[in-house]
Amino acid sequence: MAQSLSVRHLVGIKDLTEADIQLILETASQFKEVINRPIKKVPSLRDITIANVFFENSTRTRLSFELAEKRLSADVVNFSASGSSVKKGETLLDTVNNILAMKVDMVVMRHSSPGAPHYLTQHIKANVVNAGDGTHEHPTQALLDSFSIREKLGDVAGKRIAIIGDITHSRVALSNIFCLQKQGAEVMVCGPKTLIPKHMSALGIRVGHDVREALAWCDVANVLRIQLERQQIKYFPSLREYSLYYGISKQMLDELDRPIVLMHPGPINRGVELTSDAADSAHSIILDQVENGVAVRMAVLYLLAQL
Amino acid sequence: MNLLIRAAQIVDATSAHDGQRCDLLIENGLIRQIGTDIPAPDGTRVVEADNLHVSPGWIDMRVLAQDPGFEHKEDLTSVCRTATAGGFTDIVLLPNTQPVVDAKGPLGYVQRMSTGQPVRIHAMAAITKGAAGVDFTDMIDLHHAGAVAFSDGTHPLQNPDLLLKTLQYLQPIGGLLINQPEETTLTHYGQMHEGVQSTLLGMKGIPALAEEIMVERDLRLLAYVLEGDTQSTDAPMLHFSTLSSARSVDLIRQAKTQGLPVSCDVAVHQLVFNDTALASFDTNLKVRPPFRSAADVDALWAGLADGTIDAIVSDHTPQDAESKNLEFDMAEFGIIGLETVFAALMTHNRALPLSVLVDRLSTRPRQILRLPALRLAEGEPAMLTLFDPTQSWTYDKTLSKSHNSPFLGKTLTGRVVGTVVGTTFTV
Repeated sequence: MAQSLSVRHLVGIKDLTEADIQLILETASQFKEVINRPIKKVPSLRDITIANVFFENSTRTRLSFELAEKRLSADVVNFSASGSSVKKGETLLDTVNNILAMKVDMVVMRHSSPGAPHYLTQHIKANVVNAGDGTHEHPTQALLDSFSIREKLGDVAGKRIAIIGDITHSRVALSNIFCLQKQGAEVMVCGPKTLIPKHMSALGIRVGHDVREALAWCDVANVLRIQLERQQIKYFPSLREYSLYYGISKQMLDELDRPIVLMHPGPINRGVELTSDAADSAHSIILDQVENGVAVRMAVLYLLAQL
Repeated sequence: MNLLIRAAQIVDATSAHDGQRCDLLIENGLIRQIGTDIPAPDGTRVVEADNLHVSPGWIDMRVLAQDPGFEHKEDLTSVCRTATAGGFTDIVLLPNTQPVVDAKGPLGYVQRMSTGQPVRIHAMAAITKGAAGVDFTDMIDLHHAGAVAFSDGTHPLQNPDLLLKTLQYLQPIGGLLINQPEETTLTHYGQMHEGVQSTLLGMKGIPALAEEIMVERDLRLLAYVLEGDTQSTDAPMLHFSTLSSARSVDLIRQAKTQGLPVSCDVAVHQLVFNDTALASFDTNLKVRPPFRSAADVDALWAGLADGTIDAIVSDHTPQDAESKNLEFDMAEFGIIGLETVFAALMTHNRALPLSVLVDRLSTRPRQILRLPALRLAEGEPAMLTLFDPTQSWTYDKTLSKSHNSPFLGKTLTGRVVGTVVGTTFTV
């Protein structure tokens, strides 16, 4: 197995090799063991300062990164767009350069613009970790999803994963597709036709519109949130109709001829894409995903800091 | 001052000297003599260069001058020196300034600023006030005041009734309507061509459909205007600007076969780039219409070759660093192109002869705009472009106030040597 990553930044899964992915997942296993010890902290990133720069709202991703950083003994500063200079018209580059002038070694950034972290890597020296760039990539989410699948099913290769819901506005769909494909899984996306990019099937995946068929096909259903806040125009008539035709209930899971694994990147709209009894059922590994997120982010930060 | 151009190969299908290597003597703004070994009269400047070519002066039908209103991006003086560097003797300005050229006042400003410039400036006037697509401008008045065509420019005309009535209203005065075809309800928040590449980059797409549906609609409206007309019209009444899709080219090819008075142009950068270039998120490649698929680029070259596409434009759109050095979806659209039209064509040329390129850069656009034809013949006005189609050079600086060109720093083939605009020589 490779000992170091082939990239200096984690901008997207697109840029990673399969060996990179394996290295991150293996390293994450070790960190998962660490965070389950009574003393959850290691000194690996002492003297490293990391800025979490969030231009879009996030609770769990920011918290997960912050915990990962603290478990590695890094110094952490947080910047979020609300009430910041962004509202005064400062550019992304000025904001980040100001933070870097205070001697920061790594930047974890969430931004609404696809390509924003890519842009940043061309202009700054610090390592950049993409915590979601609009509807483009969210690499650490895809890695923690793969980690969780591996933990539950032993392997990702050969498994069938259905990504169900609002694909167009999702920040996790593309990264998941790239990550799963690189590990040899089969992928399907399923949702209303208006919420799936027209050229999706060209990525070598299945495209479906019947949620029952998708559930019957898959080993793992990764259910996405309806991103109402990111839909600037109308894509479907109502949440009521969406939950009737695309929502997943425990009954639907119980009726399958074999058990499947249920995932969700959170936060769940209970009663919309998932009923509560489905979200809280034995099928669900949603809370494992959250725990694994910390371990995977520790692995990413640790490996990037070694370069 | 007079000028003697030595041993230049003439590229002008309408000239008796086409294809010959001749001397041209320019006196008092006229071509005085064409021949060989013309002696240089006293005080005459002589231009000599390897592989020198001369053609009727080039005209760019689509230039955004940004003046008045956005003079920090470009002004009428900087756009003229940039145009001259690109070999243009004439440019046609879009009306999208601040204020919009929608009345004789702003039109007069552009006309006043044109005097003394090394380029002839022609102005489009807006079809609607403020180019807002609602209320008509005084089009006959603007026509008589010298507006060369009518267009809302960077604001594609959406309302079909407005387009229909504009065509009807302009027909008796022989006016030309220019529209950039885009159904804007299909392109909300779009950043790049809708295709596999936009899917991979997670970006909202601008489907080719948005252009094609407008070309189809506008052609249908033009046919409707002409139904039952007994007088045939030769000059185009409707000109589509900056085509980008293969199907649009097909639609216009069919319309021309049916005899509809229609013409179109392509922006030179559409002949060079396709959507795969955007993987770098380079905002200097963000244009409207967007770079489409490789198959679309093939179709644009084919349309240029068979005459479906009448003109090549720069679609020169100066944007300052504050509008471009940003996250991709926050950056403005547009590329500066005046200086690199010819070099981009020659560097990426798909075997089109020089005579065809000159036709699309000079002869055809002048016909579309109802401007007097230029001919390289004795006694004709001297409006000339001098160039070397094979010389390599590096585009390392621009004369524009803006720097938003994907060609900056690149080595290109095909260099402009200079222009002659009457008594003004920039050689």
